[in-house]
Amino acid sequence: MARRRGLSETALARVFVSPSIILMALVAAFPVIYAFVLSLQAYTRRIGEGWAGIDNYVEALSDERFWTSLQFTFIFTITSVAAEFVIGLGFALLMNQAFRGRGVTRAAILVPWVIPTVIAAQMWFFMFNVTPGFINSVFGLGNFNWLGQSGWATFAVIFADVWKTAPFVALLLLAGLQTIPGDVYESARVDGAKMFQRFWHITMPLLKPAILVALLFRTVEALRVYDLPQVMTGGAFDTESLSILVQQYIVLTPDPGYGSALSTITFILILGIGMIFVTLLGRDLVIGGEEER
Amino acid sequence: MSITTKRGGDKQGIVESRTTAQIWGKSALLGVILLWCLFPFFWLIMTSLKIGDRALNSPDLFQGPFGLQNYEAVFAQDFHLNLRNSLAIAGTTTILCVVIGSIAAYALARLPLKRKILLLSAVLAVSLFPPVALVPPLYELWRSLGLLNTWEGLYIPYTSFTLPLTIFILTTFFAAIPKDLEEAARVDGATPFKAFYRVIFPLAAPGVFAAAIIIFVQAWNEFLLASTFAPRDPEIAQTVPVAIAAFTGAVPFQRPIGTITAACVVVTIPMIIVALVFQKRIVAGLTAGSVKG
Repeated sequence: MARRRGLSETALARVFVSPSIILMALVAAFPVIYAFVLSLQAYTRRIGEGWAGIDNYVEALSDERFWTSLQFTFIFTITSVAAEFVIGLGFALLMNQAFRGRGVTRAAILVPWVIPTVIAAQMWFFMFNVTPGFINSVFGLGNFNWLGQSGWATFAVIFADVWKTAPFVALLLLAGLQTIPGDVYESARVDGAKMFQRFWHITMPLLKPAILVALLFRTVEALRVYDLPQVMTGGAFDTESLSILVQQYIVLTPDPGYGSALSTITFILILGIGMIFVTLLGRDLVIGGEEER
Repeated sequence: MSITTKRGGDKQGIVESRTTAQIWGKSALLGVILLWCLFPFFWLIMTSLKIGDRALNSPDLFQGPFGLQNYEAVFAQDFHLNLRNSLAIAGTTTILCVVIGSIAAYALARLPLKRKILLLSAVLAVSLFPPVALVPPLYELWRSLGLLNTWEGLYIPYTSFTLPLTIFILTTFFAAIPKDLEEAARVDGATPFKAFYRVIFPLAAPGVFAAAIIIFVQAWNEFLLASTFAPRDPEIAQTVPVAIAAFTGAVPFQRPIGTITAACVVVTIPMIIVALVFQKRIVAGLTAGSVKG
């Protein structure tokens, strides 16, 4: 009888989750441990020279270049996520209100999300660049060199990121807005709540889970930034992100030990910030998930 | 509309015309979103059609001469091979992710499994991973295994990185399917596995399809690992984003604007069509894991 029924549910469950667990462990968890081991070794180019202890970490933390890239990564993350949130929320509120043209807009909003970041980077590189100088000609700025000076280069990179991801944030927030029942607003209107009051006391609290999730994923993604600064400036003019820095020590000036130390620091930093977010919104996530079952 | 029907209707008429004006005003504001999302592509297409060095010398979008020479140049640089590599790598990633991820998601959504919360937390932790943490250890590993510059070297890490998202999306979709259906199947004598692949999997097909598109787009757009593990050689494994970032032109130290923009258009147009055609599914998939709580 047991034979005919095939695998029991519990056994099937274990069989079903194991490929995912094995693959994620092998290609995500194991390399992180391996990186930590590598980071304790000394190298000259690719030739191992034995144990180095924490030398690589000391070197990394006392390297000016590391702190500059950390600073850029943080500035990029805070500014771009904040701008994407404000613009995305604006877009989402607009789309939630409008009657005509909502379908078209919702389709168009996917376009920046679907294209490769490298393409967005090349596109905005040429738009900001002195030749042909499209942005300069639109705003009458002459030969202003956006990408060739500190500060403005960072601005250009952040702008390109906001262009690409604000619509995506809008999409997530719009989905959150659409779960808010309309009669909540109706009764608030009857009670005489003004538009801003309705937004602040009804929309924002009910939208909070969607906002937190969007902020979590955007922050973690922004901290990983690589494509945009790599293609737009090559990391010059103080736009070198942590990811670019790590990649340099693997390809351009190979030093697996030092590169691994940098990647381990980056990993701890990003996972740590992610975990802070998760604990902050963990209760919302878990409670929401439990109710679904 | 006949709202201005003489006296009694006056007050009502004002209210209604105000709302019609509001409707149109809000819809006009949607134009801002459309412009934000679509104008850069208009710029891209116009620039890619300019012949010779015209694109670099004039920011005026409508100043010709126009022609298709840039597109011929793109394919003279083996871009079709890049397209082939990207299709193969992103396609394999999608298939692997859907197969491995959907069974895991089913186990998590439906089957009795111990430590579900712990498993979901582990999946979440992997989704917060910065890919750059993998660059040094995997590079060393792939070098000794001979996986640098191969398709496998890319789709294996892509699969493990996209699995968390796949699992989140599909768990939501599986959880939404009424439980009675598999119970009925079980009463009819189906094994748990049969109940999954005969009853639940087909019902979740729209969700699976949405997940597949999102996985494909992410694998297609990936740049950091692709540019580190397979930086050259379109004949072997160089992907589209890497090629677009690396196009070289006749003039040293100057990016070939015509070739790059033309290649961008070649890649972008099919992706935009996919985004428009499957708009509803993609939006459902993107918001499934996050906002449904």
